[in-house]
Amino acid sequence: MRYLTIALTCAALILLLLVYLSLHKGPERDREIRDALDQVQQSLEQLDRRLAQPPPVASSHGSDEILAAVDSLRRDLTDNIVAAQAQIQAQQQEQPTPADPKPDSTVNDPLRDGLPRLGSNFLLPHAEPQFDAARIGGTFRTFGNTPPGLNPIIENAADVSNLHGMTNDSLCVRDGVEPMRWRGRLATSCIIEDDYTRYTFTIRPGVYWQVPRLALQDERFAWLRERVPLTAHDFVFTIAMIQHEDVQCPALKSYYEDLEEAVALDDHTLQLTWSRTLYTSLGASMGLEPLPRHVYTRDQDGQPLAEDDIPLQFNDHWFDQRRQIIGVGQYQLWDFVPDQHIILRRHADCWTNSGHFAMIDMNCRVREPEAQLTAFKNSQVHTHSLRPIQYKANILDGHERRFNREQPREGALAWERVDTLAYSYIGWNMRRPLFTDRRVRQALAHAFPKQRIIDEVFFGLGQPAVTNVHPSSDYFHDGLEDLAYDRNRAMALLHAAGWEDSTGDGILDRDIGGERISFSFVIKGYANSPEWDRTLAIYQEELRALGIVMRAETLEWRDLVKVYEDRDFDAVTGGWRMSYEVDFEQLWHSRFATEPRSSNHVGFADTEADELAERLRETFAMEERIAIARRFQEIIHREQPYLFFRTAESIFTWQNAGEHRLHGVVEALDALHPFYNRNSSWWYLER
Amino acid sequence: MWAYIIRRLLWMIPTFIGILVINFAVVRLRGPTLAEELHRGGSGEEAGLRQAESHLTNVRNHLARFHLAGNHLPAVINLRGFTSKDGVLRHLQRLERGPQALLNDGQRSREELDLWLKGPLYVEPLIAILADDSLERFHGPASQALRLCAFDPPLPTDLQLLTEAERQAKRQRNQAFDRLAIAYRNDPEFGFITEDPEREAKRAALLELYEANRDLYQRSTGRIVRAMVLETGFVDLMTKLFTGRLWSHSKGRSVFALIGERWQVTFTLNILAIIIAWTVSIPLGIRSARRAGSLGDAITTNSLFFLWSVPSFFLGSLFLHHLCTDSSTGIRLFPNIGLSSPDAHWLSPPRLLLDYLWHGFLPLLLLTYGSFTALSRYMRAQLLDQMHADYIRTARAKGCDEDRIIYRHALRNSMVTMVTLGQGLLSALYGGFLFTEIIFSINGLGTLLYEAALDGDAPLLMGSTLISVGLFLISILVADIMYAVVDPRIRSRYV
Repeated sequence: MRYLTIALTCAALILLLLVYLSLHKGPERDREIRDALDQVQQSLEQLDRRLAQPPPVASSHGSDEILAAVDSLRRDLTDNIVAAQAQIQAQQQEQPTPADPKPDSTVNDPLRDGLPRLGSNFLLPHAEPQFDAARIGGTFRTFGNTPPGLNPIIENAADVSNLHGMTNDSLCVRDGVEPMRWRGRLATSCIIEDDYTRYTFTIRPGVYWQVPRLALQDERFAWLRERVPLTAHDFVFTIAMIQHEDVQCPALKSYYEDLEEAVALDDHTLQLTWSRTLYTSLGASMGLEPLPRHVYTRDQDGQPLAEDDIPLQFNDHWFDQRRQIIGVGQYQLWDFVPDQHIILRRHADCWTNSGHFAMIDMNCRVREPEAQLTAFKNSQVHTHSLRPIQYKANILDGHERRFNREQPREGALAWERVDTLAYSYIGWNMRRPLFTDRRVRQALAHAFPKQRIIDEVFFGLGQPAVTNVHPSSDYFHDGLEDLAYDRNRAMALLHAAGWEDSTGDGILDRDIGGERISFSFVIKGYANSPEWDRTLAIYQEELRALGIVMRAETLEWRDLVKVYEDRDFDAVTGGWRMSYEVDFEQLWHSRFATEPRSSNHVGFADTEADELAERLRETFAMEERIAIARRFQEIIHREQPYLFFRTAESIFTWQNAGEHRLHGVVEALDALHPFYNRNSSWWYLER
Repeated sequence: MWAYIIRRLLWMIPTFIGILVINFAVVRLRGPTLAEELHRGGSGEEAGLRQAESHLTNVRNHLARFHLAGNHLPAVINLRGFTSKDGVLRHLQRLERGPQALLNDGQRSREELDLWLKGPLYVEPLIAILADDSLERFHGPASQALRLCAFDPPLPTDLQLLTEAERQAKRQRNQAFDRLAIAYRNDPEFGFITEDPEREAKRAALLELYEANRDLYQRSTGRIVRAMVLETGFVDLMTKLFTGRLWSHSKGRSVFALIGERWQVTFTLNILAIIIAWTVSIPLGIRSARRAGSLGDAITTNSLFFLWSVPSFFLGSLFLHHLCTDSSTGIRLFPNIGLSSPDAHWLSPPRLLLDYLWHGFLPLLLLTYGSFTALSRYMRAQLLDQMHADYIRTARAKGCDEDRIIYRHALRNSMVTMVTLGQGLLSALYGGFLFTEIIFSINGLGTLLYEAALDGDAPLLMGSTLISVGLFLISILVADIMYAVVDPRIRSRYV
């Protein structure tokens, strides 16, 4: 009897569980059905819209052809909507459409070499040589992070700018092959005047804002279904928001504080006037991305907001609260579930073709490095980057044989060493008596077995850093020789600086200000990096052999930031991310050595360096800039304010076999500049 | 009995508040400083990399963000109203460079930021310094501090709470204080040097501005006392809590929405883990007790202790690498991400159940294997205790069969201890399980709270503390009532 009761109870429980499960999955399934319907509906709308438009130049593009294409589109609708749409669009874009009266016809204009110059349009014409309509399709899977908010102006986080990089476009971009040249995107021309203070851009006609998905899902937002063209007013609005005192975007504001005026001369002409000649204004002007004015100036019902309320509303706008973004770029935000995924969908109504994937699925759940590597091995993502220790275990030690150690690009999981735009260093606090003497800093650099550490700790990933500029950059001074590991040379320099072991205790000492001081100091470092731990342990031994006592102290990131701010260190480890351009003022100008809360935390001060840093900010001619930067690096190399350790490299891996194979990676790696060679617009999936 | 319950419930209120205050104070000790806020976004924690920032000119924008999070207020008690003019002057003196400087650059920077955060209660003493002709040297830094202390950040909620005219007045006030700041320099040799040609005019205008807005800034006893308790981070947080405006700043979402979302997963896994742990451990304990001293018992005990000593993160990593990874040498047997397949909601119920079982197997194993040992050992010890009691001997003497002795008599009496063990269950339902979540990429409470702690996200941590403390207090009460239900001797003492 008792067993019967137990059995019955178990059966009832399982039944209840099943009922619960089937109830539970209802809403999810509804959502997916709704998604699919949305997709079909939107495609139909776009189709209708395109049919309603006058056919593009009839002579070369017969209506039969269009009809045939539409027919094929209808056939493919349920199966492969996005790819088919893009094909049609690609066909149309090959013809100059009536909406685009000024195509980039000056392709062979010698003045349009992309190098900034005064008085004429210098932009390289927009081009997408890598694009092939036949390659469109598939879902590209990758890892992502959930940003705290989506507004690109309010949220100053890398995740947000990455997302906007895919959904939006900028006026111009750096050329992928020669980054010193600029290529037009949303701007068809850029004319710089008045000693590089006035920029006049012609905005590309025929560019339309994406229709947010919200507008298709909810009748309340039907007013957003209208197709709105991009105009110069959108850029003016963006600048107004950045500069307005009520808008809380401190990080961006400082880049535009010298911008005197932004005006739309007409719908397609934007003029930016800067108050002084400043090289940083070039990047800030050319890289400007527009915001949809028609959304941010209205309330949820589409009614215009009062002019004065707009900036205040902008900090917490309903559009951001509903986790929406729209841009004019190739991809459109389709679904965003925080900490789950961000899904982007190829936007067929885009002015250009710069991506092959029909969908991009960014997985925000897997965050732990080992779990990420597992997901990559299980083909759940297409690309990944390995940490040094993972590189050692999986590739060098051969634990994962799908990586081909000798022929990196041949394995089922292909890999390649790539540059990471960063260098790491040990900074000496030059305010402290131990490190004021240049010879001591040079000696400390000679005592650091750079190559050995890179080989042993980083398994060869990275190059010894010589100066504060990346070796792949055009600004790099290749004539400087690294201060090689040489214990005798280090000792000689220390003796020359007055450090001797006078007490016979094996530790160097010296009179400083009438007091006998022994050479001992603390290096504060980042706690969550096993690589730094091992590096400092090796360095500690090396210094001990010279008679210097060094102790390493590791701190959590937040505490380390306080150490930088308070300049509360003898020596500190650190790393700087870099961009293609160089600007030495933030880190090296003596003005910032004494200013609180600045980035010159080591207290470097050199009159010539100051002058060079200032000149670099005012110089636009590339050769001259390179000459200044080289001279600057000579000073830095001589003074050794940092022990320049390593410019980072990492292992980039991608799926190279089977149904998940990613194509085009090798082509991009070979064709593009090392800083830009992982450009996903070159990639496409196995179809 | 009812009186007892009501008394206990009433006592919960002060306990609750006490725990929250202590928790809040501890969280705030590690809270972000304005210096960190100034560098927010420019930092890349990963690999210890940073991005060089452009000048940090716009302190007011950062200050406004700081206000939104309530971080500009002191944690539990606000004594700012008691600082006199001399106190503020001493603060300014500490900021001064020069041969006799008290502090180094870094400390000075922190002190300065600290002064800027003090808010409207510091306006009156700062104005007193400006009004004093003999303190001319300090007029520059005082006006700068005034500009930021008097700053009333424009908030999106102003649109609902203030009229157009009030908003306008607020903006004009902010702009006026901004405009009237007297330029100065902090020289390493001479200390503060005022460099502003219009300093007298600006000073006069500032005094006038203060007069015009006296009612906003003037300290009265009432204001000071009110500020002591009410203008604190704790009250700010509680107000947001009860008006439902508690926002997590690191996630940019409402705290309870976040917790609600994550709790589902944690709750489901925990409840399954508890059921498994108890249904396996109790029979195991009984079995062990019945065969105490035998070889079988020794093997069970030893293997349980062996399992107990294997750390779950280690076992988890082994599982991930050997059972969940496609590699050149093998294929995966179990999934590596989450608790269901991405397309699980298309599956029919039986297949869905299988899918859940397939995904849940390893995480549940990791969550439960450690608790088998403790629970079954408790059960075994309790039962053995009872087995040696007199009444069991009597029962045996009467000729009761062994099953009846154990299940009818001994087991019932062992249950009081199991109630004690069970009292933690309710709050355990809320607890996260960090390692298992991280290894199997399950978005539960464990990772949420871990990330919140790393980001110093006080609202999120406090919202979660509130729930776990609440559950804990309730579970203690429930356990006490259960004792009374199980044992009449205890019941008689609850009056």
